[in-house]
Amino acid sequence: MSDIESAIGKSLPRLEAAEKAAGKAIYTGDMELPGMLHGALLTSPYPHARILSYDVSAALELPGVKAIVTAEDITGGYIGLVCKDESALARGKARYIGEPVAAVAALDEATARLAARLIEVEYEELPSATTVEQAMAEGAPVLHEDFADYVKVYQAPEHEGNLLARAEAIMGRGVDGFDEADIIVEGSYEVGAQYHAYMEPVSVLASWGSDDRVTVWSSTQSIFRTQANIYEGLGIPMGKIRCIAPRIGGGFGAKAEVSGQLITVMLARKAAAPVRLVLNRDEDMITMRARHPGTIRVRTGAKADGTLVAREMELWFDAGAYSDDSPAVMNLALFYARGSYSIPHVRALGHAVYTNKLRLGAFRGFGNPQASFASESQLDEIAEALGIDPIELRIKNAIKAGEPWLGGQKIASCALVESLEAVRDASDWKRPREALPGKKRGLGVVGLAHTSAFLSAGAIVRLQGDGTIILNVGAVDIGQGSDTVLSQMCAAALGLDIEQVSFATPDTDSAPYNYGTNASRVTYTVGQAVHRAAMQVRMQLLEHAAEMLECLPEDLELRSGGRIGVNTEPPRNAEISFADIAGRSLWAVGGPITGSGSYIPNDPPNPEHTQMTGFLGLDALSVITFGAQVVEVEVDEITGQVQVLEAWCAHDVGRAINPGMVESQIEGGFVQGLGYALCEEMLWEDGRLVNPSFMDYKFPGTMEAPDKIHTIVLEIPEPSHPFSVKGVGEPPLVGAAPAINNAISAATGIRLKQIPLTPERVLRALLAKG
Amino acid sequence: MINITLEINGEERELCVPAARTMLDALRNDLNLTGTKNACNQGVCGACTVLLDGTAVNACLVLAANIAGRKIVTIEGLGEGGRLSPMQQAFVDTGAIQCGFCMSGMIVSATAFLTENPKPSRHEIRAGLSGNLCRCSGYVRVIDAVILASERMGA
Amino acid sequence: MEFYQPETIEQALALLAADPAAMPLAGGATLVAMLNAELVEPSALISLAGIEELSAVEAMADGTLWLGAMISHADLATEERLSGGHSVLRQAAAQIAHPSVRNIGTLGGAVAHGDPSSDLPAALVAADAVIKMASPTGKRSIAAGEFFEDYLTTVLAEGEMVTAVGLPRLPENAVGHYEKFARVHGDYATLSVALILAMKGGECSYVSVALGSAGAKPVRVPEAEARLLGSALDGAAVQDAAQLLSEASDPVDDVRGSAEYRLMLLPRLLQRALNVAVACAP
Repeated sequence: MSDIESAIGKSLPRLEAAEKAAGKAIYTGDMELPGMLHGALLTSPYPHARILSYDVSAALELPGVKAIVTAEDITGGYIGLVCKDESALARGKARYIGEPVAAVAALDEATARLAARLIEVEYEELPSATTVEQAMAEGAPVLHEDFADYVKVYQAPEHEGNLLARAEAIMGRGVDGFDEADIIVEGSYEVGAQYHAYMEPVSVLASWGSDDRVTVWSSTQSIFRTQANIYEGLGIPMGKIRCIAPRIGGGFGAKAEVSGQLITVMLARKAAAPVRLVLNRDEDMITMRARHPGTIRVRTGAKADGTLVAREMELWFDAGAYSDDSPAVMNLALFYARGSYSIPHVRALGHAVYTNKLRLGAFRGFGNPQASFASESQLDEIAEALGIDPIELRIKNAIKAGEPWLGGQKIASCALVESLEAVRDASDWKRPREALPGKKRGLGVVGLAHTSAFLSAGAIVRLQGDGTIILNVGAVDIGQGSDTVLSQMCAAALGLDIEQVSFATPDTDSAPYNYGTNASRVTYTVGQAVHRAAMQVRMQLLEHAAEMLECLPEDLELRSGGRIGVNTEPPRNAEISFADIAGRSLWAVGGPITGSGSYIPNDPPNPEHTQMTGFLGLDALSVITFGAQVVEVEVDEITGQVQVLEAWCAHDVGRAINPGMVESQIEGGFVQGLGYALCEEMLWEDGRLVNPSFMDYKFPGTMEAPDKIHTIVLEIPEPSHPFSVKGVGEPPLVGAAPAINNAISAATGIRLKQIPLTPERVLRALLAKG
Repeated sequence: MINITLEINGEERELCVPAARTMLDALRNDLNLTGTKNACNQGVCGACTVLLDGTAVNACLVLAANIAGRKIVTIEGLGEGGRLSPMQQAFVDTGAIQCGFCMSGMIVSATAFLTENPKPSRHEIRAGLSGNLCRCSGYVRVIDAVILASERMGA
Repeated sequence: MEFYQPETIEQALALLAADPAAMPLAGGATLVAMLNAELVEPSALISLAGIEELSAVEAMADGTLWLGAMISHADLATEERLSGGHSVLRQAAAQIAHPSVRNIGTLGGAVAHGDPSSDLPAALVAADAVIKMASPTGKRSIAAGEFFEDYLTTVLAEGEMVTAVGLPRLPENAVGHYEKFARVHGDYATLSVALILAMKGGECSYVSVALGSAGAKPVRVPEAEARLLGSALDGAAVQDAAQLLSEASDPVDDVRGSAEYRLMLLPRLLQRALNVAVACAP
């Protein structure tokens, strides 16, 4: 098999690259249907208000307006991945400024927007709680009075006001373990809210057919979560909902859960016409979701020789007005609270709190960037206090393969030490960096981990009449290259060139279930299903071939390009093609050759290893992957501005199916993490987002990103995967902020505990240091 | 409503537009040239970059009515005879393209830039493309693509 | 909304006079963005693109350089006649936003908009620029330092438009420098220093300083310049000048920085700007 795995390990151009370069790729906002109307939203001007009545009469009278929907048009229940507390439109109450309250479908977008402004909603403004402090204060206004009645998949706090979730993990002796420490460092860290800033704003096109089915094209990371949310939120049977993914212009976590689809389906139903809804940038920033801001208190205890003995982390995440992914994000932050080190005694406590802001949700890293900022920054303080090199400290304590992670799952393979050594050597870590007058330079390191397998995926592989394969998975390519990588895996499994594998457009009508494109999971999780399906096809191919070539299946070998030959002594010059087999199967014997595969990881935590309360089920979360990064920064002593000069990013991917794409993920993820570290911050004043535009919310451009991002792709085969792979979508972002923070410390001696590390914060710290 | 004629990707086209219609909206909605994207509508992100008489401009900041008689080239018009232009091909070959949404504007900007500066340094390219935001790539391969295009075009 | 394309300044003025709710359209970098965001709703747009004389660059015998209002930022950034002390304007134009916006935005548009956190106003004030305006009742000129009155507020009367900007002659050996500090490249300045100076025998023989993003309009303090004159442009002279400039500044708290931070930056950025300019000065 190995010598015909031609498609694996090749940096093939992505399948749709030429189409995108030509400007021909079709995204949702480019699509048009006959009779299509345009949607627009009316959103809440108040952070917290009861909705008393709607008057749509003036809006309806505007020429060109075809339909208006409010909560009165909702025919379903509540939605939410882990806590069902949200509706298609604000229902009874609006809980954040920008929450969609009503929507209009009209002949053109300008009319729809004008009509939306003519809708009169009577509100009764309520006291609001726009920060965690306000929301947890005695007598705070309660956002979800019916919280106790909501369906949830985790053990939620009861009768605790706005506390959405609390979880705790205790390993070893917990906080008692600090008695083994010679030194203890404690600190409190603040992380700000980061906006995903995908280039393609939320876009949906919904069209009801004469068969009473609705087809929904949208910029989504999950056609199945879209379908499930429409089903639950509007009470439409899944069989009547078809979700399709056209080209997607980025997601980074924001587009896995509901992103405009329910509203558009409602409009299309009421207007009896297709409706397209595309948000403006400011609307997108105000109505959608962002990364959880929060406070993280961390305490680490170590022996004088650098052995880490105890870790305590307590974090408070601002969840915003609706639960969305928050309990899970908080859980995952705790999952990484120990870091990638063999710390025996751990207590990790997390909270997620409702506030009157937009929902905070999944964003590349999913709680890990926040936890890692705190824990990896603190680790450098320990290193400094003990006089130990930060990389040596990490290597000394690095977790090893075979050891259990927090929670008790065993780590099958671990490249943390290799990663740390790789970035240490590549960056010439010990060499002092000289800076020009007025500037200071320094290097910082981070050790990191993240998971690769999560929830379920299926795949269907079919042999077509011409002997080529069509691969059908529910996985959406949001720009990370999964269409290509999954095709490469499928091609490799069958000895084909990639041109002989067609990738079917993700469509709930024909694709098997896939949870979504998130959690760094697609290469591993969907790859498992693809392999299983391909192996079924391979088996059927060999059965046919054996009959056609009159030999045993064991005597056959797959040859590259879709042929099967006989591998015997003496050699026989007999060979048939997949096309030959297809013909036989379709017209004579056996029937259409189809393979299907299904996979869900199962790796239950061990309650004897770690006591966990309040967590969601973690059984289907597995396969930890490791990495390390070193960053060189230059700090401008006059202004406090920080420039990242160079980065070395070592990530274990098990096996790089497409090395170029792995490197691209690392580069892009690192720069997105750089933005999180240095300049990105959503700012609110009394619940109003102050900077909802690209003019006011800044993320890295060409001048902020370093020209030298050295990607070190480590390949320590993951034993649990037929292609040996692990994920790499999130890890490159996870490490950037602490690495940069540690580099600033190395350069200047200041230790910052709040991100973003803006020039102002850096300058204040420099001046305070003197 | 204002009637104008302009040359778009080498073809003379007629438009009838209200005064406030941007070139971006006209391209996408009146002319069905959806390759040029709207990502911010305020001239910050560059996803809507087109060439106006050979100069890179943000189509979201140009009113269609104000450019009667002028020449526009969009991403769809860079190649010839159904083939990708050298710059487009370079972006494909270096793996610069991920989600692709910023790339129409990026490639058009890069094309204009290279015309002005055929043998640029990496730093000059970065400065030249500082108005094209990308959230996926981290920019390294974008710069690689412009260097590759420059080499291939014989600079 | 109506759309007009006059060919002369007089035609444009007549159209503006006829409809007070009409707005002149220069490059559109600001106005079209505001239209897109529905922040303005003019009854008509009067495009200045067809008025050729608004793009003229004229060097006068007395050394004044006249720049037409419709000259783009990109053209200003590459205008070779903006040399010596006038290069402060060239540098400021070169740092506005990014290339494609500079191809669209214009000198007159930026001047008429009067945003103290944009790049040209401070440079024009430092250069003692003269703003020429025209209205149906005639023409007038005013010093840039008086033209900018407040945030987005200039002396332009209703129906009046900027037609040109004049840069008076500067000492032969003057150099200009525009030091801009922003969160990211291309952003509006958190603070900027527009500087023109000349040195003689190691001492400052000419200096002009104006700050951007330091208040409701560009901040310029003659006493601060007097303090710098004759000094070596370091140490106590700069600290004192910075103090005077600080007292005259009233920066905002916004996403680009707090007022306190901008005031912290002021002396530091001023010294940095002076160092660069002095190093370039013959």
